Formats: sequence, C-alpha cells, structure tokens
Amino acid sequence: MSPQPNHYDVVIIGAGLAGCATARALRDADPTGTRRILLVDKCTDVHPQFSGEFIHPRGAEILDKLGFYAPLVQAGAVDVDGFLAFEHADAQPVELDYADVPNRRPRGLAVHHKTLVRTLRGELRRAGDVELREGWSLIELVRSDSGSICGVVLSGPDKTRHTLTCDLVVGADGKNSSVRKLAGISDEGRETIGFTAGVSVTDATLTRDTYAHVMLGAWGPVLAYPIQNEADGTVTTRVTLDLPKELPAKGAALKDHLLEAYVPFLPAPLSTQVAEAIRRHPGNLYMAPTVDLPAPAAIQPGLALVGDAGGCSHPITASGMTMGLRDAETLGEEARRRAAAPRGEPWLDGAALRRYRTQHDRYVPTRQALASAIYEAFRGEREGSRAIRRALFEYWGSGRSARSRSMALLSCSEGRPSVFLAEYFKTARHALSSSLVPQHARRFPVADRVRRARGAAALAKDKLGLVAAVMWAQVRPSWMPHASR
Amino acid sequence: MLDSPLPTASSNVASAVVEGSPIERSLAAVHPLAARWRGRVLDSMEGTEPTQRWLAAVPDIGPTCEVLLADRLLCDLGKEETEALMQWVRGSQDASGAWMSVEGSPDLSLTVLGWWARRCAGDDPSEASMVKAQRVVHSLGGAQRANFGVRLWLALAGAVPWDFLPAIPGELFLLPRSTWVSPSRFAPWARGILTPYYVLARASASVRLPDPSPLMLRRDPDATALVSPRLTRPGLAGDILQAFDKTVKLTQKLPRGPLRRRAVARAVDWLDETRQRHGGWFSTRPTLLALLAMRVQGARVDDPRILGGLAHLRATRGQVVVRRGVGRGQTALAQGVGGSRVSTAARLVLADRHPSDVASLLRMELSSAGPWQDRANALAGGWPHEPGAGAHLDVDATCSVLAVLSSIEESSPLRAPAWAARRRATDVLLAMQEGPGGFARFERGEADVFMQRFPWTDADLLAQGSNDDPNRVRLAARSLTHLGRTGFRIDDDRVARGIDWLRNVTADAYETRSIRTLSALAGAAVATCPPSHPMRQEMEHRLRARQREDGSFGDLVATAHALSALLELSGACVQCHRAARHLAEAVDRHGDDLERASQATCQGFGLSPRLEDPSATAREVSLALRTFVAQTTGRRGRSTQR
Repeated sequence: MSPQPNHYDVVIIGAGLAGCATARALRDADPTGTRRILLVDKCTDVHPQFSGEFIHPRGAEILDKLGFYAPLVQAGAVDVDGFLAFEHADAQPVELDYADVPNRRPRGLAVHHKTLVRTLRGELRRAGDVELREGWSLIELVRSDSGSICGVVLSGPDKTRHTLTCDLVVGADGKNSSVRKLAGISDEGRETIGFTAGVSVTDATLTRDTYAHVMLGAWGPVLAYPIQNEADGTVTTRVTLDLPKELPAKGAALKDHLLEAYVPFLPAPLSTQVAEAIRRHPGNLYMAPTVDLPAPAAIQPGLALVGDAGGCSHPITASGMTMGLRDAETLGEEARRRAAAPRGEPWLDGAALRRYRTQHDRYVPTRQALASAIYEAFRGEREGSRAIRRALFEYWGSGRSARSRSMALLSCSEGRPSVFLAEYFKTARHALSSSLVPQHARRFPVADRVRRARGAAALAKDKLGLVAAVMWAQVRPSWMPHASR
Repeated sequence: MLDSPLPTASSNVASAVVEGSPIERSLAAVHPLAARWRGRVLDSMEGTEPTQRWLAAVPDIGPTCEVLLADRLLCDLGKEETEALMQWVRGSQDASGAWMSVEGSPDLSLTVLGWWARRCAGDDPSEASMVKAQRVVHSLGGAQRANFGVRLWLALAGAVPWDFLPAIPGELFLLPRSTWVSPSRFAPWARGILTPYYVLARASASVRLPDPSPLMLRRDPDATALVSPRLTRPGLAGDILQAFDKTVKLTQKLPRGPLRRRAVARAVDWLDETRQRHGGWFSTRPTLLALLAMRVQGARVDDPRILGGLAHLRATRGQVVVRRGVGRGQTALAQGVGGSRVSTAARLVLADRHPSDVASLLRMELSSAGPWQDRANALAGGWPHEPGAGAHLDVDATCSVLAVLSSIEESSPLRAPAWAARRRATDVLLAMQEGPGGFARFERGEADVFMQRFPWTDADLLAQGSNDDPNRVRLAARSLTHLGRTGFRIDDDRVARGIDWLRNVTADAYETRSIRTLSALAGAAVATCPPSHPMRQEMEHRLRARQREDGSFGDLVATAHALSALLELSGACVQCHRAARHLAEAVDRHGDDLERASQATCQGFGLSPRLEDPSATAREVSLALRTFVAQTTGRRGRSTQR
C-alpha cells in the first residue's frame, strides 16, 4: 500500500530544541526510514522570545547521540563544566562540578538559543529525512470517532488551511502549548512566577570561564554563563536576571531598576560590564515570563507532549532543555521498540505512550520539585527559605561528596528516590542547625534563633508533601492508572 | 487645610516650569546656601581648627557647660577658647534668666549648668541675670532636682551626697554580657555614661568647682538639709525600688572582699575597650566622664588616652550662631555632642555633590567589628554617626550615605566600590531589624532595655528612644525605603514585618505625626508597596490633607519633606506645584537668612535629645526644589532625593 500524501506517522508541532530532537530521535528509531515525520513551526526563523540556552551533561549526551553536538560546537556552542554559586557577591563561590558526578559525561553545553535552533533545523534540513515546514501554524486537532487524535489542521504561510492525518501528534510547542490547549489537557496549577530579563555581555569577566555563575543577594538570582564562542575569538555571555511578577518598572525605567537593584549585587568587575550592557542594550531588554506548570497529563490517545509543553518550572536549575531532550530520547526509545510495528497499526500505540508517560512522570516532577525548592531558597523571601539557602551553602561547603550528590540531582543525572530523600533530610538538618547558630553575631538573641529555626522547620514541613509526591512518582508502578487531568 | 486630595498634575501643568522659571531661579538662589554648609561640614570632617569649624548639629549649652566644669580638672582650655565658649553660654541665656531647651522651654538642668559655668568663669552671682537664673532654678525645684548629669556634677563638687544618684550594683559589671541586666545591654550612650559614673561614684571623686549651693532648694532658709530628690517614680513599685536603692547603697558600705575591686577594674577595662579611633568615646558626655574617671584612676595628664580624649573634644567644637537668648545673632564657639554627623554630611552631599565626596564617604565605612554585632548577624559595614567612630554603627547615617551611593554618576570610577559598600550596608540594615519589625539605630535591642522597665526617674536614659518614638518610626521608614529601592518588596517577610510594624505603631495617630514622619512613611510605602496597597493610599491621603492654603505643610523643612514625598507618590501634581511655589517664595523673601526661617532639629543623644540643625532649611529646600525641577522638566526620571 503506497503512503497517502496527507498522512504522516508523526506530526511534531514546534521546531525548537524538543521538537527537533524528537524528530531526530524518531527518525533514528526507524531503521527502514519509511516512516513519515513532519515537523512544523509557526515561525520561519527562530521564535523571537528569549528562551533556554543551558544544557546539562545528560542533555549533551542525548544531543551527541542524536548527532547534534558536533554541529552545535562548530556553530559556537560552549562546553560548560558546572556551576559556581555565590551566596553573595563578596562570598567565596561554591563550585559544583559536573565532573564530580560519577559515571556521567563531565561537561554540559551552553548555546545561544537562536544558534541552537538554527543549527538543529539546519541539520534536519540537510539530512532531509524529516519534513520541516516553517511558517506553518496549528489551527486545530482532528479527532477520530473514538475521540483519539488522528490529525491536525494547519495554516500555511499563504493562510490556507491544510488538513493532515497522522498516527501521533507530538506537542513540542513550549509552555504556552497550543497543542495542549486544543487537546483540552488541563494546565491546572499553572502559575506565572515572574519574568526573566536577559542581556548579552561580550568577553565578560567570569570567575571561571566555563561555568554558569549563580549570584544571589538581589531580589532574585542572577545567572551568567557563556553561550557563544564567536568567530573573532570573543565569547558572548548571557546574563539573566530574575524579576518579580509585578514588575517594579517597565520599558526604559526597567533598566534603571536593574542598575539600582540588581547590578550592585554582582561581583566586580562583572557588575560594571553588566551595567554597561544594560545601558547600551538597544530598546527594551529581552524578557520571558517564568512559568510553573506542574506536569500535566503528557499523553492522550494519539498525542504526546514533550519539553515545556509537558511541564515546566523556574529556570533556576537550567534543566528545561535537558528535560526536553530526555522526553525526545524516551519517545525515541519507545518508537524503537515499536519499529517493527506493521503498517496499519500506529507506530507508537497506546501502550508505548503510557510507558512514555510513566517515564516522563518520574523525572519531570523531580526536576520541578528541585527547581521550586532551589528557587524558593535562592530568592530567600521567607525566614525558612533563607535558612534553607544558608543550609545549602553550608552543606555544599561540607565536602566534595555533598556537592557531587547535589549536582547529580540538579543536573538530572540522578533519579533514585533514596538519594532525593537523603538529600532532603540532610538539607533540613543543616537548615535547623544553621538557624540556631548565627554566622556573625556573637550574642544572637535566643528569640531570633528560635524564629529562624521555626521558619526552617515550617518550610521543611511544607515541603514534605512535595517530597512525598516526588517519591511516589519514582516508585509508582507503571500499570497503575493515572487520575485523569 | 484641604479636606481631600487635589487631582494630580497634567502635562500642561508640568510644562509651566521652564528654564529660568521662578522656581528654578529660587533653586539657583538656595543652592549656594546648601553648598556653603556642605563645605563647612566636610571641612570640619577634615579636621580644621575649631575657630574655622562650624557645628551642623547644635546642642543646647549642656555639653559646653560640662566641658567648662571639667576643665577645672583637665586644664585643657586656653583663655580665648574659654571666653568663646562662655560667649555661647552667656548669649544663650534668655531674658527671663533661664536657659532654654532646643524646643524653647525653660530647662532646669541647663539653667543650673549655665549659672554654674558662668560662676566658673568668674561672673558675679549678684548680677541681675545670675539672680534671675537662680530664681528660675528655685522655681523649678532646685538644682538637686535636675537631671542625672547635673546631679553627678553636683556630687563631684561635693554639693550633694552621692546618695542623690541611683546606685549601680558593681556585680552588674561582672555579669556575662549576654545577661539581660548587663550594662552591655544599655544603649551605647548610656553605657558610655554609666561606666565612668560607676568608677567615679566608687571612688567618691571630687572636683574643685565654685559652690553651687545658692541653687539648692532647702526646706527653709536656715536648714542645712537639702530637699532630697526622688530617684524613682511615684507608686508602690517606685517605693520598693527606692528601698532597694537604699539597700544597695547600704551593702556597698559593707566589706565585700575583692568584688568591688574587680567590678571597678572591669569597668575601667570597658572604658579602655570602648575608646574609639578618634580618641573619644561614644559622644561628648561619655568622653568627658571617661576622662574624669581615668584621671580619678590615676591617669596622668600626659597619658595618651587623656590627650586623645581632649583632642577629640577639641575636634567636636565649632562655631554656631546664637539663635535664642540675649546674644541672638552672635557667633560663638560651642561644644558639640559629637563630631560632624555623617548623616548631615551625606544629605548635604546630595544637595551639592563634588567628585571627591563619594570617596570621602566610602572611606568612612565601618570595616572593623563593633559591639553592634553582638546581636546583629552581619559582617562589618554601614557608616558611623561621626568620622572615626569605628566601633559604632549608625543606621540613620547609613541610610543617608546609601542615598548618595545609589545616585552615583554612571561614569564614576567609584561605582564598583560604592556597589560593594551598598551590598554590605544592605546586609547590615537587614540585620539591624528588630524582631517586631522596627529598626535599631545603634544596636539591636536598644529600645527595649530590661533595666529600663524599673521605675527609675532616669530610666529613659538607658535606652535609645521608646518603641514608638518618632525618630524610631522615621528610621524604620528610611531603612525600608532603602531596602525597597534595592529591590526588596513587601513580598519579602522582613519588609512585610517592617511595614506592619509601621502601621501598628502609627495607627490612629496620623494626625499627631509630624509632616517629616508622614513623609518618611510615604517614602517607605512607595518604595516597598504596590500602588493599591492600603498603607500607600493612606499615606498619600494623610499627607495631601495636611497641605495648607498657602501651599505649605508647616515650616519650610516640613514643606520640603512633603514635596519630596508627594513627588515620589504621584509625580509633579498640583499640590506639588503649590508646595514648590511656596518654597520658592520663601527663598526669595528670606534670601541669605533662609536658615533662620525655620527651626529645624535633629536627633541627639541622652541628655541632649534634640539638636538644632542649621543647615536643614537650605539643604532640604534645595533638594526638594531640585527634584521638583528635574521631574517637571523631565531631565532625569529618578529622584535626586533618595
């Protein structure tokens, strides 16, 4: 039977990192090369919104497997060695090395988002085994009589509607996913936490050139990491500043606010360079909302969500892109299992999608719980969260093994529930002890010590539910049906 | 006074201010006055001669008189200097014979000191003005009813027994510093007074001074027994405490082995430990008493500690213009309560900045540990109340300097060091927040000293203001304003606690709050709360409602504060224009005499709780008009006030 011209095995909506990686993973899972994969994106070029640029070693490993790593490095992507966390600008930073995580790739990758997407699309285009349509947008999903999704209606660059049928639609269209909305998947719990403003600094003076720097002290954490090795030998560094939901200023006044309330909390001479970059930035700064979206149901019959569409959290742990790559890898593995599925049967059937969801629901909540906890601690807006922050730095300062365990969790290399639980208890213990013993005061009043300890205990108690949910996600049997969402 | 707020400004109103407008001309006229004060204050900090130095915080005559009395033992003042100081004392005497407090009411303690200082200088007690002063003292209850400081001098002179002063059990000095009743829990000023007092009292020290007995009130003219002052407040608790005081004094007469010797040695150690880099102690009175105590303990006149202390006293004298009294308008020499205030200097730098000013302020940053870190969990940072006072943080001065640093020029090479200093100071501010939400000025817990709860008549001296003291409210508001401008908002529990504390402390008392306090509260609300927050709306309403028909909000300084606060609240509204016009008219009307048009005061220490602030009018009017002009002409969006 010859393939129908308007039928595809998989239609992927969104040709960003997760979409391109999924397309390549699926293509690699089809040894015969006969499956038809369509990759669609509404933008003819890269989406203008400021987006993720940091990939942990686990993600870099997947990129390497998919054949994207070398082209990205050639395009200017920077190998990164880990994180440097500054409790405040004058403090000695804590070094969190990827190399300390045993049996894992020792380096991650940071790359300008535009370079990333252009390179990935270029690679797909060059290989020619995935059909890529840019400037096409999703209008609606087509459902069969049984209610499963069996096609999409797209709008082409000429605004004409095209109906395509397919066995699987993959939503890779980010946190504001149209696929998720059209599929009626609830995004209950979605919350805009704030905004991230970004500036680029050329040849920034970083304490370690190949590390992401997390600097605390201002209202929200500030991140700085290299994203591009330029042809002329310079390095472009991305600096992101976390802003509250209710922006204290807008437009040009926002620059003044950043200069006043954020830049002074950066270590010199980076502070001067960032100030200069903010002042010289033409027009308004790049901004993106930070969204917390507790993992929604990642599948429906005929549909899978990958990347941010399937759950996202604050970018403090820089794990969004790595999660998207893991989704692509997992979906690819399921597709490989079903590579021999006869024509007439969906490539990824219901059982394959359920297995995908089981895996997805294990690593995504862990990542979200970590991101939420780390962000709360790094923001430090409550007594308890400041105690956790202090405890984290104390814990990290206690030895290399403590740092490596934390790094394994933060970089998505560790998923064992026992490790997660052990880290939680260790941090809670440090929080309590550091609350009772002040850093500088010689005769700190008992009332203040008790208040701090109570704050730490209250936060640890609040997080128990989250820890339990993560633990359950890790050990939950795959055969157990999900509550519908 | 307006009952409801006027509508905010429209763009056509803003366009009324043009280059060379009356308000800009007034700004040009008032700016040199502020600049002159800036020069005077910064020069004073550089260590010029007393005759060329000006006091920017002028106390009553108390410190001057005490220096004159102490000189009988210390023998440091020259003849000319003594005469210049006496000119201040004599010139400040009111025609009624009394010496007035800064607020303008006859003051028993000042009148005793004034009379006594004049006697030291050889003035005839039968002279009319001296007799009048004597009568004032008698009418107010006699010298023995004066404050603790005066009674201490009377005891030193042998005019009253040491029993007229409260007893300090020596054991207190031997207690661990963390205990509630340890003197280390007193406000720094009180510690600075009570420690040398204990040493002097234990030694029953004596200084040869002219006889003050004509100022004493006796039961009848022939009686030798004095009417003894009550050391405690009336009531059962006071009676019990009075009995306890007598018991302590009785036990002090018993042999107690090495205890007393060790307690005195500990107190002397404290004196040594708390001497500051500038040579003095926390302020003038503690310095004077510490010098006396050291002399009593055997220190020679050429002891470096004595010489350093005397040099500090000399460095804190300066010229003043007599504002009240028979010598009104004269220029005289006065003893300040401390060196030039960093907070005043910073405000003046805001009004008239020179390139070297920021460097000077940065050099004054605290870099060594101090007693304020006992209960505040932060590394060294922030600024002291005077240059060289390296052990004592002053949150008020810190807020003022932070305002300067946050408006530093973009091209300044000092930007990075200024940012680093701001970071440290912000940590210090956060660490100085008290549990309920307010902020301490010098040391955490200074408003709630355990020993202050006992009904001593002088108990207020042990703490730095009460909890709802307007200075404390303004300090909290200023601290929160800075934190707000640094990005801390009401979503942070510390800011929320601070705002709640301000609301609780000021609730139902807005009418009685000064414009300055309301303006500070409005500034805190703008910096930390969204426009819809009730506190912000309440402050705006209260402030707008206090404007008078002539556009003013009271005196010129109050109007300047209100104008600045309104500009922060809503930009250049109609009410701002009226206030600015009022200020401009006042500048035109008073010309160079502007500083006399408003009797501004600032916070002092202990027995001189209020100080005159002669630079305030020119400084605050200049700052407010500059911000107004900047906003209305759109030259610079950010406030220059900070």
